[in-house]
Amino acid sequence: MPMGHTATDQAGTGGLTATEHRLANGLRVVLSEDHLTPVAAVCLWYDVGSRHEVKGRTGLAHLFEHLMFQGSGQVQGNGHFEKVQGAGGSLNGTTSFERTNYFETMPTHQLELALWLEADRMGSLLAALDDESMENQRDVVKNERRQRYDNVPYGTAFEKLTALAYPEGHPYHHTPIGSMADLDAATLDDARAFFRTYYAPNNAVLSVVGDIDPEQTLAWVERYFGSIPAHEGKPAPRDGGLPEIIGEQLREIVEEEVPARALMAAYRLPHDGTRACDAADLALTVLGGGESSRLYNRLVRRDRTAVAAGFGLLRLAGAPSLGWLDVKTSGDVEVPVIEAAIDEELARFAAEGPTAEEMERAQAQLEREWLDRLGTVAGRADELCRYAVLFGDPQLALTAVGRVLEVTAEEVQEVAKARLRPDNRAVLVYEPTVPTETVEEPTEDLESAATVEATDENEEAAK
Amino acid sequence: MTELAAMEFHPEPQAGEARPWAFPAPTRGTLDNGVTVLRCHRPGQQVVAVEVLLDAPLDAEPAGLDGVATIMARAFSEGTDKYSAEEFAAELERCGATLDAHADHPGVRLSLEVPASRLPKSLGLLADALRAPAFADSEVERLVRNRLDEIPHELANPSRRAAKELSKELFPAGSRMSRPRQGTEDTVENIDSAAVRAFYEKHVRPATATAVVVGDLTGIDLDALLGETVGAWTGSSAQPRPVPPVTADDTGRVVIVDRPGAVQTQLLIGRVGVDRHDRVWPAQVLGTYCLGGTLTSRLDRVLREEKGYTYGVRAFGQVLRSAPDGSGAGMLAISGSVDTPNTGPALQDLWTVLRTLAADGLTDAERDVAVQNLVGVAPLKYETAAAVAGTLADQVEQYLPDDYQATLYRELAATGTVEATAAAVRAFPVDRLVTVLVGDAAQIKEPVEALGIGQVTVVSAE
Repeated sequence: MPMGHTATDQAGTGGLTATEHRLANGLRVVLSEDHLTPVAAVCLWYDVGSRHEVKGRTGLAHLFEHLMFQGSGQVQGNGHFEKVQGAGGSLNGTTSFERTNYFETMPTHQLELALWLEADRMGSLLAALDDESMENQRDVVKNERRQRYDNVPYGTAFEKLTALAYPEGHPYHHTPIGSMADLDAATLDDARAFFRTYYAPNNAVLSVVGDIDPEQTLAWVERYFGSIPAHEGKPAPRDGGLPEIIGEQLREIVEEEVPARALMAAYRLPHDGTRACDAADLALTVLGGGESSRLYNRLVRRDRTAVAAGFGLLRLAGAPSLGWLDVKTSGDVEVPVIEAAIDEELARFAAEGPTAEEMERAQAQLEREWLDRLGTVAGRADELCRYAVLFGDPQLALTAVGRVLEVTAEEVQEVAKARLRPDNRAVLVYEPTVPTETVEEPTEDLESAATVEATDENEEAAK
Repeated sequence: MTELAAMEFHPEPQAGEARPWAFPAPTRGTLDNGVTVLRCHRPGQQVVAVEVLLDAPLDAEPAGLDGVATIMARAFSEGTDKYSAEEFAAELERCGATLDAHADHPGVRLSLEVPASRLPKSLGLLADALRAPAFADSEVERLVRNRLDEIPHELANPSRRAAKELSKELFPAGSRMSRPRQGTEDTVENIDSAAVRAFYEKHVRPATATAVVVGDLTGIDLDALLGETVGAWTGSSAQPRPVPPVTADDTGRVVIVDRPGAVQTQLLIGRVGVDRHDRVWPAQVLGTYCLGGTLTSRLDRVLREEKGYTYGVRAFGQVLRSAPDGSGAGMLAISGSVDTPNTGPALQDLWTVLRTLAADGLTDAERDVAVQNLVGVAPLKYETAAAVAGTLADQVEQYLPDDYQATLYRELAATGTVEATAAAVRAFPVDRLVTVLVGDAAQIKEPVEALGIGQVTVVSAE
């Protein structure tokens, strides 16, 4: 069959390999074999996220992602969920700043079904999209917003920090969940136009990982996706470029009914995909990545001014990445006390750099996180898509951990000195409106705060 | 639609031939010091998971010291006879390891995850923590203050607040289960290092401990490694503790925890049922899944996908505490959040779903899809070492045989529609459910009273 693909020689780390292919309609396909468990993961990344949204339509990419589960040409109603679950598979979709992904993990013998389903909605979603599902999913998404952000203490902190760190008009100024007003304003025509603009085979990468026969898998991919026409006309997202340094300290005080004072900050950091970004990851890990980090030791163990203190990194490819500091105060401690200690620690780190032992610890932690991510077929499929969509080369996923381990202490010091400065951060201070005792808010995982999902599969809610 | 014309459609594909998969069988043994060991080799799983179970249940906490098991669990990673608290954390992280510990009704559990190449060193650290924890005064004092700081937060979180209220409602006041697992302000402030050490000395010993090790163990001499680490821990022998019976009052009623201005109402509707020793368990798993296991189950089909009242409502059953004689108990619950104005209508629909289930039962198609999902997802659910280790540890903690999970899958596949219906109806009887609502009482009380699902009382959130 005509396949116009360019297979790449096997190359990778940890025994993992991947091959790349391209259909005539532009769909890029990445395959990776692993026969240890009889499961296969299908992952489809569309190169569209909240950064592509326009003024007045924030949240549209995510609302649209929900509509992708409401049936398509040959699939009725909730059929995408019903068929995958009935086949012993699991599935979901998520939306972030830079992409929308859909994924199924299937028992090996049901892989073909997942490919058929993904192709059906890529090629024929509009046959099923109607007002009823639009109105229903609008309500569902508004309740998702209430549940995850509006009805929990500090729930909108990430949204506020993002709005501070990326200026008005910048494509990353708003988060994927969008505003209630914009969710209300979205129309069925907006959704249709969004699909016609962004949901095309030449704007997507499909990865299939696990207990697969590559030749058979490619034949299925060609059969189901091959006839979906490519189309051009996708507008480039607005430019996310910004100066390396914010240049001043931005600040917002939030007076809200929260249980404790909190200090949060967003630092502007190098773009994902660069060695400097890996160096920044290590710097944040040394400073705030665990219970032996500098900030934890200083604020939680020694000064005892904070209940929790940590740093997280949101890697972004189309705009500067974001280093998120999150500290909840203990007792009656005032924010300036915390802030002075943090500035002192950051300045000392910039002046001295990490010790050899700190580098070893940080690299060991990041290595384990990578092993975790690549340890499941679904995690591997997602990472292969990520590197293919954002950096044009899925093989980079397999060598990513090696790059983190190559970074030197000097490079970590350099990025800290250049970026972790008071004039390169946006600060958010929470002051409780009702005088109560201060408490810990467990630091929400940064990836989770920046991502919105089709469904909330949390069965441990009552624990 | 031009989009449609452009694509060539193919019929839905048929499944290929399933490849066999079985829940992994562990090997069981005992170290010279009495520690029970379960091990399981999982090729390719480079991150090894170790679970340690200690027979230090919450009902063993002394009166007035609720939370001492939690503080002890946390203090295990705050220094040993060789390392200070800071040094211990640094050494663990140098291994690329994470160590979590928590206390629950059945006992205290430590969970270590580490790349296989660094298992020896991290297992040494874990063994030191068990054998010779420092429990330094200043570290315990810090953990106590930290815990006190957490409590008001839990009260501010709608789902945590609901869980606390449901426990208080269901169980008799004298029962440990009626009170928060990690203690209250009044009890936690009484905890000091002497109390932690006393609890440790009374309840933590190798003879009543179990270690579960799962992962790619290629090239690791686990016997030698365990002998040098966990095996070097010494302690006296002990009789197993008797498990207190669980009693609960599930008279249908409603408690509103008032949160003025809340934009959503958190629902937690629960009662007490059987544990996994009961023969009905597989049918109950199946029936509960059909009721509210996923987005396509009965509850979400109406509350989310038809009405849009919620991001998702789930029904589930989980074990609270098991006993060797099978007299344990589980919690059955329905949980989710609905927007404030639709709280009354959402509860009405929820009760209608339950009544319809009782009147008409499940369909064969629902049962089939549920079985296919619950059994079919097993190989992907248990891909990681941590997932396998967690389930093996649960089985030990619940006095179940090591092949329980493997057997459960066979039993699920053999359970019919009639049994699944009966189990679900018995699990969620409409007049024996305690409903906790965390939300704006001024807006939701009247509509909820009008539903007739039980006496409504309002309590303050603080």
